[in-house]
Order: sequence, then structure tokens, then C-alpha cells
Amino acid sequence: MTVVPAQQTGGGGGSSGLYDVLELVLDRGLVIDAFVRVSLVGIEILKIDVRVVVASVDTYLRFAEACNRLDLEAGPRKAPGLPDLVGEITESGARGKSKGALSGAAETISGAFKQAREEGETESRPRPRKSTSTRRKEEQE
Amino acid sequence: MSTYVYGITARSHADLPEELAGVGEPPLPVRVLTEGELAAVVSDAPENLRPKRKELLAHQNVLAEVGADGCVLPMRFGSVAPDDKAVTGVLAERAEHYQERLRALDGKVEYNVKATHVEEAVLHQVMAESPELRALAEANRQAGGGTYEQRLQLGEMVAAAVKAREAQDAAQVQQALEPLAAAVSVGPESTGWLANVSFLVARDRAAEFASAMDDLRKENPHLDLRLNGPLPPYSFVEPGPAQPAGTAGE
Repeated sequence: MTVVPAQQTGGGGGSSGLYDVLELVLDRGLVIDAFVRVSLVGIEILKIDVRVVVASVDTYLRFAEACNRLDLEAGPRKAPGLPDLVGEITESGARGKSKGALSGAAETISGAFKQAREEGETESRPRPRKSTSTRRKEEQE
Repeated sequence: MSTYVYGITARSHADLPEELAGVGEPPLPVRVLTEGELAAVVSDAPENLRPKRKELLAHQNVLAEVGADGCVLPMRFGSVAPDDKAVTGVLAERAEHYQERLRALDGKVEYNVKATHVEEAVLHQVMAESPELRALAEANRQAGGGTYEQRLQLGEMVAAAVKAREAQDAAQVQQALEPLAAAVSVGPESTGWLANVSFLVARDRAAEFASAMDDLRKENPHLDLRLNGPLPPYSFVEPGPAQPAGTAGE
């Protein structure tokens, strides 16, 4: 797995927070009908409903697998009361190779956006959606 | 030459930092058009403007600079007027409306909160709450993982339980922060978050809001909560609920 730059929540002005506020910049804000808007072709991919991914056979099987691995003796959080660490744990949890169903789905979209902006900056073709497991495999290579 | 519009602000707030860089490659200089009591923050519109990361950031940065010490009504990314005159024409025509909005949003900023589940923690929770799920999982474990159908059955039940938790947690996040906000705008559901909510918060309550977020994090270790802000009030430029995504420019 390659190194993924940490995504930080910030003032929204830095590039790191852009993904989180993207839909605000693109879908909210003032619209004046006398003005035209640039075409947003190429980033419709953001509007994919990841909940569809969650309700798939693939996800069910991974949930089942995750439950088998779950150490029920350990409790919901081994070290509660460490809020400062929550971000880090989540970060590595979401991006490590033990990527779970939920974060995996979110990452599919995040990855798709990254892909769209890196490769498709001037392209505009819709991209076929990859299954989360395919992506995981690719990312581990 | 067409004109790219970043936002609308009060004329008295329209002092720009020098050499503010706008959209385009190379970045086009940002300038101000005034009309009556209002001002529009604009630049020339680059040809073939596309929603690239760099351009989105430029739009966002201009608004952050202009909104740093005064209210600005942010335009949606990519708004282009035929020329400067068309911009001042709109300012004149709708002056009353924009001034009302600027007054309503004065001293307030937007904070966007997004929440996702920490998977392992939420799985623990749903298992802890359901003897039935625990029994199924245990049976599967003892059967070396279980058959395909058994695993599917367990997974489907777990997914349903997790989904129910999502709705519960989304409501909780909103309820915890709502009392500190002047207005709330729920974002589109379909972008991978269990909650995506924007809060309009008075600048002098920002610290309180941040501390409420900290409490929420402490109380909910199974939630990954992301706070973005202060932002220009994208979700609150129009009274009432914001327009859903994807309705403009189509």
C-alpha cells in the first residue's frame, strides 16, 4: 500500500480540507440565474450513493468476516478517554489494510474523486465504479 | 471578456488583500465591482474553466480571505457573468435582497460536520446490543466461519443493525450541536457520511461550538467526527432550505 497523505480537518482553506467541503463549494452557495455556470461534467461521480455499496452481498460477507474476527471480550474501545487519539486511530483504521466495509465505501468515493481529479482533470467520461474489494486489492499492491 | 464572480459583500467590507489570486492558469487578479452599498468580488473568467482541484481551491481561498473579517455571500463555484456590467446590473436589481441576507448572516460563519462510523467500534456496539447477533456470530465461528448462506445472513443482519445506528447517531449529532447554531442545514445524504450537517454559528460562539464537538467526540468513540470551518455561509445564502445538489447549470 502506498503512502496516502493524511486528510486533516482544517479551516477549509487548505487543500487538505477540500474534499470535505467540496459539495458546499459545488452545490451550495448563491446562484444567480442571469449568470451561467461552468460545466461540472466529470465530477458527477461524487454523487454516487455509497449506501448502495453498503447494502451489497460483498459488504454482508465482509461484515460477517469482521464479526468473526471481533474480540468481544475487549469492549467497544480498548482505551476509552483518549479523545486526542481518536483521529489517529480512525485515520489508520480507515486507510490501513484492515479497511472495513464502511470506511471502504467512503474511500471508494474519495478515491474516485482523487482519480477523477488526477487523471480526468480535462477528461469528462464517466468512470465505471469499481467494487470496494477490487480497490482494496489494487491499493495493497 | 466574461466575468467570474466569487461572492457579494457590503461595499464597506470590500477592501481586498493585495494581489489576491483567483481562478485560472496563471491565476487571474481578483478585483471588486461596486454598485450602491454592495460590492461583487470578481476576476476575469478564464477560458475553459473546469472544476479542477486548483480552481475550487482558488474560489474557496478568495472567499476565505474576503470573509475573514466581514460577511460575504459566497457564489456557487463556477458562476460566470457575460461582463462586469451584468454583475453590477444584478447588484442594483436585487440590492435589497442581498443587503437583507448580508445583515442576516453578519457575524456568522458556517461549520460543516460530517460523521462516519468507526467500523470496529460500531460492530462491537451492535453485537453487544443483540444476543441474537452474538449467537449467530458464535455459531458461525464455531463452524469455522459458517456456510456462504450463514455468513450472508449474519452480514445482512449486522448491516441492518449498523444502518439503524447510523440514523440514531445522525440525530444525536444534530441534536447536540443545534442549540449552539442560529440555523441548521442538512447536506445531501448520498456522499458517504451518516451525518453531513452545516451549522450557522455566530463568531462569538465558535469556541463554545468547538467545545461541544469535543464533548461529542469523547462521548461517542464509535464516531469519526470531522469539523470544517469557519467557512463562508454557503448553505445559508438563501432563506429556507438550500437547493438540492445538481439543479443548477443543467
